[in-house]
Amino acid sequence: MPPKDTPTDKAMLDAVCQTFETMAFAQVTEQSAELELEVGNESIWSSILVHDPVQGEIQMALPQALLTKIAADMFGIEQEEVNESQLQDIIAEILNTLAGLFMTSLLPDDQTYKLGLPEHGTGPLPEIETESIVWKLQIEGLALLLVAVGSGFRV
Amino acid sequence: MKRIVIADDSATARMFIKRCLDIIGFGDAEIIEAENGKEALAAAKAEPTDLLLSDLNMPVMDGETLLKWVRASPKLLDMPVVIITSAGNPAKEQELLQLGALKVINKPVSPPLLLEALSPFIDD
Repeated sequence: MPPKDTPTDKAMLDAVCQTFETMAFAQVTEQSAELELEVGNESIWSSILVHDPVQGEIQMALPQALLTKIAADMFGIEQEEVNESQLQDIIAEILNTLAGLFMTSLLPDDQTYKLGLPEHGTGPLPEIETESIVWKLQIEGLALLLVAVGSGFRV
Repeated sequence: MKRIVIADDSATARMFIKRCLDIIGFGDAEIIEAENGKEALAAAKAEPTDLLLSDLNMPVMDGETLLKWVRASPKLLDMPVVIITSAGNPAKEQELLQLGALKVINKPVSPPLLLEALSPFIDD
């Protein structure tokens, strides 16, 4: 297992914390080794492709219950009023934002990059067959999973 | 009353920008929402528009193409354009400023960030 607290880890954790705190007023922390939370089957995920100079993909998954609460807080509505379209839009925008912060932090100032348009789905994340880095995080005791797929993210 | 066009394919992002505008004193502005650059361009041409806030990464027409169209249009030439992007860094920011953006803001947008970016526009 690669060592923790690398520049890649720091870049991802900073990006996730800043994004959730600014957009959703939610505090993200790392999961403790003793209590490993699972995203579960009632989950929603989003993924975004990263193009030049790093080829890869960043994925995020979290329980629908957690995203529903975040959506209700963000839109100022009751949780029962949150619809599927809003959930998909919110997870895509959150991932889009944190992926940008992550890449900006990883790359030199003079290096431009491009992000694809986010995709999303429900249930577990699609199977990953290539090298990847996984961050198991939590918000209010519920799991948040981030994955960077590809060999170019480790610096 | 100012007329402001917000272009972003995410309804969440548009809501968030509207909320920030409201907080920094644009609560009485007429806000026109567009899901891509093409819609935003049409909205900006339809009536005199004071400000265009645009995402960079959108389907149909992206923010950079929109900016080029705006700067090439005699009718829209002087309209301030602020680019709000998740894929920004100093190199990209310089490119967009050279194309004629008033400011480039990185997501996530916050009221202080938007206020700072719009200060030249507010002074006008």
